[in-house]
Amino acid sequence: MSQQDRFDRMVDKHPHRHDFFFARPHWNRRGFFRMLGAGLAGTVLLEKPAIGQVIKRNGAESINRAKYLLMILLSGAPSHTDTFDFKQSPSTPMDLLKPETINGIAFPTGLMPKLAAAIPDYAIIRSARSWALQHNLGQAWVQIGRSPGAVLGDIAPNIGSIVAAEKESEKTPTQVFPTFLALNSDGAVGSGYLSATYAPLRVIPATAGLPDTVNPDGNARFDAKFDFLSKLDGSLRVNSPYGKALEDFDRFYAEGKGLMFNPTVDRAFRFTQAEAAQYGNTNFGNACLLASKILAERNGTRYIQITLGGWDHHRNIYQANSLPTRCRELDNGLGTLIAELKKSGVFDETLIVMMGEFGRTTGAITAQAGRDHFLQQFVFMAGAGIKGGRTIGSTNATGSATAETGWSRDRDIRPEDIEATIYSAMGIDYTSVRYDDPFGRGFYYVPESDKDIYAPVKELWG
Amino acid sequence: MKLSPLLTAAAAALIGGAGMSLMVQAQEPEGELGVQHAECALFGPEGEPFRAAKREQYQQSLLTNQILPLIGAYKGRRTAAVERNAAEPTGTIDTHIFRALADNGVTPAGGTNDYEFCRRVTLDLTGRVPAAARLIAFVQDGAPDKRAKYINELLESPAWVDKWAMYFGDFLENTEFNNQVRTYPQGRNAYHKYIRDSLVANKKYDVFVTELLTATGPNSWEEGELQWFVLGFMGGGPAQDIADLQAANAAEKFLGISHENCILCHDGRRRLDGLSYWGISETRREGWELASFFNKSQMQLVRVDPANPNPYYCRVIERPANTPDYALNTTTGNRPARQPIGTVRNIAPNYPFGDGGRPRAGEPYRVALARFLTADIQFARASVNYIWKQYFGRGIVDPPNQFDLDRLDPTKPPPAPWTIQPSHPELLNALAREFQQNRFDLKWLMRAITNSQAYQMSSRYEGTWRAEYERLFARKFVRRLWGEEVVDAIAQVSNMPVVYSVTPAGTDPVPWAMQLPGTRGLGQATVPVEFRIAGIANTYANASLLDAFLRGNRIEEERRNDGSVAQVLNLLNDRYVHDRTRAAGAGATASLARLVLNKYPQSINDNLLINELFLSVLSRPATEDEIRIAQAMLNGTSGNTRMQRVEDLLWSLYNKVDFIYNY
Repeated sequence: MSQQDRFDRMVDKHPHRHDFFFARPHWNRRGFFRMLGAGLAGTVLLEKPAIGQVIKRNGAESINRAKYLLMILLSGAPSHTDTFDFKQSPSTPMDLLKPETINGIAFPTGLMPKLAAAIPDYAIIRSARSWALQHNLGQAWVQIGRSPGAVLGDIAPNIGSIVAAEKESEKTPTQVFPTFLALNSDGAVGSGYLSATYAPLRVIPATAGLPDTVNPDGNARFDAKFDFLSKLDGSLRVNSPYGKALEDFDRFYAEGKGLMFNPTVDRAFRFTQAEAAQYGNTNFGNACLLASKILAERNGTRYIQITLGGWDHHRNIYQANSLPTRCRELDNGLGTLIAELKKSGVFDETLIVMMGEFGRTTGAITAQAGRDHFLQQFVFMAGAGIKGGRTIGSTNATGSATAETGWSRDRDIRPEDIEATIYSAMGIDYTSVRYDDPFGRGFYYVPESDKDIYAPVKELWG
Repeated sequence: MKLSPLLTAAAAALIGGAGMSLMVQAQEPEGELGVQHAECALFGPEGEPFRAAKREQYQQSLLTNQILPLIGAYKGRRTAAVERNAAEPTGTIDTHIFRALADNGVTPAGGTNDYEFCRRVTLDLTGRVPAAARLIAFVQDGAPDKRAKYINELLESPAWVDKWAMYFGDFLENTEFNNQVRTYPQGRNAYHKYIRDSLVANKKYDVFVTELLTATGPNSWEEGELQWFVLGFMGGGPAQDIADLQAANAAEKFLGISHENCILCHDGRRRLDGLSYWGISETRREGWELASFFNKSQMQLVRVDPANPNPYYCRVIERPANTPDYALNTTTGNRPARQPIGTVRNIAPNYPFGDGGRPRAGEPYRVALARFLTADIQFARASVNYIWKQYFGRGIVDPPNQFDLDRLDPTKPPPAPWTIQPSHPELLNALAREFQQNRFDLKWLMRAITNSQAYQMSSRYEGTWRAEYERLFARKFVRRLWGEEVVDAIAQVSNMPVVYSVTPAGTDPVPWAMQLPGTRGLGQATVPVEFRIAGIANTYANASLLDAFLRGNRIEEERRNDGSVAQVLNLLNDRYVHDRTRAAGAGATASLARLVLNKYPQSINDNLLINELFLSVLSRPATEDEIRIAQAMLNGTSGNTRMQRVEDLLWSLYNKVDFIYNY
């Protein structure tokens, strides 16, 4: 068989919905009236924004329960039927997964004991389905809440950047932490067409703390030379006719200096081996540890993205160093994080969203003892007043398709719906449109579709 | 271009601005797929006032206004500004630019002095700052044509190849993987090598583009030109999706028409009404006629190790000549269904722009396409415009990938409220024709640009600046240095170089960041043995420093001009920067700080020391105020030694805004 044939067969082998990628275009009257039904003021849609106004709010009501957002991207795509949508298959090693039914939810306690015990604290969406089976495409899709292949995909900002832009006005001068933080997420989608002010600050957790915040010459000498720099560079800053513009530029220097030799920053970004051990002594655990400390400081960070990779188990999925190791890493990190967030009191204000870019094949494992790409997936949602200990929607006996959708829109839940949920939970009008995009077409926070509107999954809150 | 009755009604509804838009939508036939962007009078010409207000955020002039005061009061009193002969501007560029300024009653900025010009053009042409000795020689040179000679010198320097290989790598989106396909470091490096070799040979741009469009071969890791086709792969759908993406890429990069991507999903009418006057009358069929040129070419993966799916390289081949043309028989994939139009089931290639054209009998389709495309005046326009933007900060058509073909001819203006799109339509056409006449020679184009008085204008503007002057290029706009320019400048002026490793392991390292073959993951730097300083680490993770300066990833993140906290933290505290201020240690015996300390050991010569540092780092002498402030610091009462103070002074210069910006 030729290379091309093999390639074609591999593409054919993975059942994907034979729908158009771009199956989310235009409005028709049906769509319009459904939108009215969803509680939006129809007349508002006909108004134009005032001249000079960049963002048009279309008046969607917000759930408004979360001050903070933690997005955990499980890159590589975890097997949903071995984790949060457990299904016993002919291949499932029951003594390894040790499934139990907790609160009516089948769960592989053997793989994730801490998260099994924490079931009352979170909800699992099981009627979720991805649009595409390609890793980079899918990961970008989750982070920007729209197709990266579309024209606007090229310039679309990370959801976190939109949140940072929306919440900028709420930041007080003493809050020095970066609004949008990416931990172990160097590949995170950036600020797209928005100003780089809203890009994530990318940090790899290290015991020494935030990088480049310590001058090699020490505090005293740094202060002296920073003063000198200001004098040398700044004799024209006083009484400058340019006013605000200069402050904006200066702000980077002020922000930078604010992060340096700062005990609050050090307290939040540094950690000890003992602290790391609580979270499992892994990179992911360290990221969870930092997230826990940073959120507890309430010092300006509003959106944290963490990436935990290594879920692409095409081969030997049940081997000790494959899925079980990944799950243990996740369990120790996230399980401890939830407990710590509850202790510090910030859990009720933090929405935790965790998902991969798609799921994995169901039923028996493949000839390589693994699972391949599959559209059906789960989404884990916790905090911010979400009613835990339950599932939203359910799948069929094998986990290959949605059986019950579990929400008002009565269809598969998509990354765009998760995006709408995030904005709404954070008090951001998810039907907003920004008119500052370079194409002049208008940038919709949540894209539109002809089949239905994308909307928040309000059922998570009861 | 005929308007159907339906279109007229729709257009009238939009332009009339009544709340009619939703009613128009209701008439749309059910099931007709289209990517409709909310029908709203905010798009299109009616939306212009909103967009104009928003455009301020992108204006080069806003950035320039922010930066200029920070650069300081230095007005170059030591050499006269080269005054333009304003009465008789010569050359195509100057004639058009200054006539438009005069017609609009706008006073242009003055000229640059020799320090400013030398630094600016060295950075713009070669990505480096001038060596202090060369700078002083240039300033002291009395020859009237010294600027033209210096430009020629820069065009022939190896650093010109470095910078423009990086530019074309960005432009062609050369990367080791994108959302659809992996090319691996080997493929990325092969593409980079092909680009470099082409620049070294000063390959004419039409030849270059022809090679990219027509490349076939067995191994994309060895023939880098194959990567253009490889990176245009689209999976998850039928072969027609690939042909469509190839057409969209060619239209965007070589014709400046990104809206072709829209046309490949749907007709322009009722969808591009707000975006492109030309687009309104384009049909999907015409998009297919372009895609059809790619339909007989195919990419195949070849595994390096037959037992492992990864890694792989690609071969690009032509399908048999009797392969049917682009078929209208798809219902799945990345684009809406393609179904027969009447009895037409296959679309033959027909170049949809300019004078059109079909392949000759037996001619490979992509060869024919390259022939039509490179002969199309739009190719010359788009290419000139993309390069123009690199020197002027904005294109004559801006953004440069949004050309509207029916709004370019000032003798055939579109109907109101549409306007002529280029800020200088005659200039664009004249430059395009000259580019053609000069055989698409990139060096000719860059020479013409940098020699113009328009380019050599100062960024300081006397008088009140208004936003509408930006389109007239009434001043030079500042730009922040690329990350590669920053790290290379610091290495160069400090005499403390590093080398950068290149993946895959075993590839030769490169001495300049600007020579790196990509912008993702690369940047690990090591100090060569003879420059090492005992007791400190001699490796630097400059990838994060380069990323902080927003070099982008050549997929969805473009190279950006923005500032950020991360940049500031790096310049203030990063070891790479800090180590390049040192005056002590075996590896620093030739460092800049050590050199000036040796040359001026007495504080009585501080003014000379300070000036030498300014000339080396900032490519200009210090002002009287700056000398006074720096002298006070050097002789102050802090506990630091003279050596430490000189190091701190050098550190300050790396952090000065006129180091980080090109003005």
